[in-house]
Amino acid sequence: MTLPRPRRVALGAGTSQTPEIPLMRLLDIQNLTVSFSQHGGLVQAVRGMTLHIDQGESLGIIGESGSGKSVTCMAALRLLREPPARITADRMVLADVDVLKARGAELAQLRGKAAAMIFQDPMTAFDPSFTIGHQIVETILAHRSARKAEARSEALGLLARVEIKNPAAVLDSYPHQLSGGMLQRAMIAMALSCRPKILFADEPTTALDVTVQAQILQLIKDVQIEFGMGLVMVTHDLGVIAETVDRVLVMYGGRVMEQAPVQDLFDTPAHPYTVALLASIPGRTGGRRRLTEIPGASPNPANPPTGCPFHPRCPVAVARCSQDTPVLRSTAPGRDVACWRAE
Amino acid sequence: MIRYILKRAVSILLTFVTVSVIVFLMMHAVPGGPFDGNDMPVSKEVRDKLMASLGLDKPLYVQYFKYMWGVFHFDFGVPFQSPGETVLQLLARAWPPSLILGGLGVVIGATIGILLGIAAALRRNSWIDYIASTLATLGLTIPVFVISMMLILMFAVFLGWLPAKGWDKPNSWYLPIAAYAMIPMATYARYTRSAMLDVLNKPFVTVLRAKGLSERRIIFQHVLRNAALPMVAVFLPMFIGTATGSIFVEAMFRVPGLGAYFVSSITLRDYPLEMALILMITMMFCLAYLLTDIVYALLNPRIRFGGKS
Repeated sequence: MTLPRPRRVALGAGTSQTPEIPLMRLLDIQNLTVSFSQHGGLVQAVRGMTLHIDQGESLGIIGESGSGKSVTCMAALRLLREPPARITADRMVLADVDVLKARGAELAQLRGKAAAMIFQDPMTAFDPSFTIGHQIVETILAHRSARKAEARSEALGLLARVEIKNPAAVLDSYPHQLSGGMLQRAMIAMALSCRPKILFADEPTTALDVTVQAQILQLIKDVQIEFGMGLVMVTHDLGVIAETVDRVLVMYGGRVMEQAPVQDLFDTPAHPYTVALLASIPGRTGGRRRLTEIPGASPNPANPPTGCPFHPRCPVAVARCSQDTPVLRSTAPGRDVACWRAE
Repeated sequence: MIRYILKRAVSILLTFVTVSVIVFLMMHAVPGGPFDGNDMPVSKEVRDKLMASLGLDKPLYVQYFKYMWGVFHFDFGVPFQSPGETVLQLLARAWPPSLILGGLGVVIGATIGILLGIAAALRRNSWIDYIASTLATLGLTIPVFVISMMLILMFAVFLGWLPAKGWDKPNSWYLPIAAYAMIPMATYARYTRSAMLDVLNKPFVTVLRAKGLSERRIIFQHVLRNAALPMVAVFLPMFIGTATGSIFVEAMFRVPGLGAYFVSSITLRDYPLEMALILMITMMFCLAYLLTDIVYALLNPRIRFGGKS
C-alpha cells in the first residue's frame, strides 16, 4: 500500500488546550457527547469527542461500526432527531456559528452552505419522485437568490465537473435511472452546489462497486483542493484514509483513541487499538498468513466498560485501564493519544 | 401509456360482460318473481299476461341479449316498481342526492383525515397524535348508523340546531354529510399518518435536511409527494360509494337517494333496475381503478419511465 505524503502537516494539531488559531478554524468541537434514549435505557454513542478542522485541511475519522464516527458528523449539523438524541458539548462551533444554539432558519442556512454532506448510500439519498436536476437546483435556490435558469446551468456545470459524461441527460434523469457511481457523483455535485467550507463524507464509497470506489475518492480529493474546502472523511476503511486525508482520528467506543498525521499513524501507531487495527489489514506484512483479527467485540454503547473502552480487548492493559478513563494527551508534535501505556 | 390504456379498456369490457352474465343469472336464479308479492295478489292468468308483456316468458338467453342490446343503446328499461319513468329517469332523479352526499362526504372527510394524519405524523406521540388515532379508531369501529343516531340526538334533539332528516333545506345537508365523512376521515387519518412516517424515515429526508432546505419545503414538497403514492390507491375507489349511496346514512336521515333502491330492486325482483345499478357500479369500479393506475403512474417516475436508461 502506498501512502501519499500529507500535503501539509496540520498546524497546531494538538489538544483542545492549544491556544494558537491557525488559518481559519472551520469546525471546533470540544467534549461532544451524543446519547439516545431507547426503551428506557440510554445509549451513549459519543462519549466526549474533541476535534477541529481548519480551512483546506482534511481529517479522517476511522473506527468500526458503532464507534460513533457517523453520529459525530450528524451531530455537527444537528441532523439527528432530538429527542431521542441528546447532544451536549463544551463547544461546538461550525463556521463561527454556535451549532448547539442555532435553530430553524439559522441551522438551515448552515447546512449545505457552511457544511455539506455526502452520504453512504447514493441509491437512497435522492428523492425518487424528482429529477437530479430539480434536486440540485432546489439546493442552489435554497441558499441563494438566482433565476431558475441560472441555477440550472450551474447544476449542469457541476455535473460536468464531477466527470459525468452526459450532464444534460443526467440532469433530467430520475434517481432510479442512474447507477450508484453516477448517483454518488451527482451527490458530490449537489454538495458542492453552494460552495461549502467543509465537506463531510460519510463512508462515501462503502455502497459502491470496487471499480468506482477509487474514482470517487480521487474526485472528492480533487474537488476538496479545487474548492479549498475542509474535508471530514468518515470511514472504516484504512485504505480510504491513507489515500485521502492529512490527519487521522481513531475512534473507539464513542471516544478518540488517537490522533496523528496520516503518515505517522501508519508508521508508528501509538495506541494499542490503532496497532491492532493496522495489524488486521490483510497483506500489510507481506506473505500468506492467517488473517489477524482483534479478539473480543465492540463495547456495548448501552453499557460501556469503565475506564478505557478498549481495555477488555487490549493486549497490554493494566489494572488502571479498567478504572480510570485515559485522557487525550499530546505525546509528540501533532499527535495525541488516549492511553495510559503510551509514551 | 396509450397502449396500456387500450389494453385496460379491453379488460374492462370483458369484466363488464362477465359481471352482467353472472348478475343476470343470479338475479333469475333467486326464487320468486316481480308479481309474487302477498300485498297485492294477482291471479295466475293476470300474472302470466304481465310476465308476457314484460318479455319475462321468453328463454333467459333471449331476455339477456335483449336487455344488453338495450344497454348498448343506453336503454336500461323501465323499473317495475316505478313504471311511470325509465330506469335512466329514476337514476337522474335519485342519484344527485347520493352523489352530493357521498362526494362532499368523501372530499370533506378525506381533507380532514389527511390534515389530521399529517399533524399526527409530524407530532408523533403528542396530544394531536392521540386525538387523531382515537378519532380514526372510533370512525372505523362505530357503525355509521350509530354515529348517525348520535349526531341526530346531539344536534337535532338536544341542541335543536339542525333538522333530523330531509334533504330539501340547505341546513339539512350538514348531519348526513358529517355522518358520511366519518369513514373517509378515519381511513385517511390512518393512511396519511403511516405513509408520512414511512417517508420521513427514508434516508433521502436526512439528505434534504443536510442540504439546508426549510422544514416546510421538505414536508410539503418532498414527503407529501412521496406519501401521496399509497394514498392515491385508496382515494378514487372511495368515490364508488357515492353511487351505491350509503344505504344506512340515507335511511337514517331520510335522504331521497339511490341507497334505498338497491334494497328494493332486489326484494321486489325489479330486474331492469337491479341490472342497471350493478352494471353502473361495475363500470365505476373499473374506471376508478384505471384512473388510479394512471394517476399512480403520473406521480411515480419509476413506473412512468421504467428501468435504467
